[in-house]
Amino acid sequence: MSALVMFDHATLGYGRRVVLSDLTFEIPEGDFLGLVGPNGAGKTTILRAILGTLDPSAGTVTRRPELRFGYVPQRDQVDYNFPLRVLDVVLMGRYDRIGIGRRPKRDDRDRALAALDAVGIRELAMEPLTRLSGGQKQRTLIARALVGEPNLLVLDEPTTGMDLVSTTQILGLVRELHERRGLTVLMVSHALNEIANYVTRIALVQEGSFRIGAVDEIVNERTLSEVYGIPVEVDSFAGHRIVLARRGSAVMRPGERR
Amino acid sequence: MIEAILLFRDALYGALVIALVCSALGVYVVLRRIVFVGASLAQMSTLGIAISFWLAGVGVAGVITRKPVILSLLATLLGVVFFATGMRRARIPADARIGVAYVVAGALAILFIAKAAVGEAHDIFLQGNILGITRGDWLVLLAVSVPVLLVHLLFYKEFLFISFDQETARTLGYRVERWTLLLYLTIGLSIAFAMQFAGLMLVFDFLVLPAVTGLLLARGMAGVFASAIGAGLAAAVIGFSLSVPFDLPTGPAIVAVSGALVIVAWLIRRLRER
Repeated sequence: MSALVMFDHATLGYGRRVVLSDLTFEIPEGDFLGLVGPNGAGKTTILRAILGTLDPSAGTVTRRPELRFGYVPQRDQVDYNFPLRVLDVVLMGRYDRIGIGRRPKRDDRDRALAALDAVGIRELAMEPLTRLSGGQKQRTLIARALVGEPNLLVLDEPTTGMDLVSTTQILGLVRELHERRGLTVLMVSHALNEIANYVTRIALVQEGSFRIGAVDEIVNERTLSEVYGIPVEVDSFAGHRIVLARRGSAVMRPGERR
Repeated sequence: MIEAILLFRDALYGALVIALVCSALGVYVVLRRIVFVGASLAQMSTLGIAISFWLAGVGVAGVITRKPVILSLLATLLGVVFFATGMRRARIPADARIGVAYVVAGALAILFIAKAAVGEAHDIFLQGNILGITRGDWLVLLAVSVPVLLVHLLFYKEFLFISFDQETARTLGYRVERWTLLLYLTIGLSIAFAMQFAGLMLVFDFLVLPAVTGLLLARGMAGVFASAIGAGLAAAVIGFSLSVPFDLPTGPAIVAVSGALVIVAWLIRRLRER
């Protein structure tokens, strides 16, 4: 199979609560996919099914047998109070390869340094994690994801809480990794505007509905107005797509649709 | 003074073993923000001891009443399973569950002790009876502590990973719940045995204060562990040495020294940051 992950009529949820049903899509090798939707729409549920930490209640989710994930968690999932150096954190990405009860070797350290090099912060290897800026912390977590030599790089809300400069740099870095290394990338975000200009395909999840396609197929006024239930404009400025809710649509009450 | 200390040398060895193991494990307790899980486990251990005393008081004879550690261990392990496996699924916030366990275990322990016919049993709640440690006792403590520390040496990177970032550990195939259970088991085992002699206050002290000292002084994990263990051992030796000749209660003396070491570490940190 050329797909790394394949959903076949999968129903996802927790216990008896169904979050999303009848999902059928795949993540082919070399894809650069953005999974977009508001908070609570089911992005994390889909992400867990992709990562294999949530089993579908119906249908199947199939992962290629040799598939390795490079996972970049949301920044608040990591505890920055731990007195760890940047290199220590990056080495964690090789822990499963090193094996239980064994210590990292020189080769592991060399690979960790190379991963730091790839994200442009090799000189920070011996710095305490707590002293880094938000962007540098995110680069550290990306380096940790890369050092395990993944087939699929998964980033969960990689730019949340970052300023414009850091956001642009991190998204640029991810695109560069995709283009330079041919790495398959899945980027989860609630910010359609941010990632629509970087990814090649978008999966849009909103109130139980799910659409997936090339960016042009999803990021257009008709589709977005249909999915969000409000009039949406898609403009272009200096080669960048900008998605806007039409004036007045923001005053709708929760749950109301036009 | 030295003669007086030597008279209680077995008690000192016991205090040092408890300081060693609790200070090392305390680094995880503080970093994982489960300080009150440690306190609740200690309280549940107390409940086990109290039940044992009560059973002895009502005339139940046997190994359970002769060896309070058995019920103490059982109660602590129940707490370990409760805290390590029940937290994720519960609708009640984790800190509320810890609070419920702490206060209910504490109250039940007081009720059982109130009806126990064993003299001065109430001391176990606060001070323990560290001066009563015999050679056999500290050898048992050592026999429990060495395997616990070996497990931590062997699985250092696994415990670190699941404590630092369990979501990523899970994606790399780590069975986070099982590792968490093992970590909590080692903490619970150490608490249950230490509680027999050290009492609630001192065990809680060794689980928290040396680790805080370590985190204030050191910059890397190895340094934090070394500083925490050093601070725990130093507090045990200094507190013990002051308490015996000056006829002070040993547990609170050790806690007071631990507190002083935290203040010194904080001052050093402040000076360094200038």
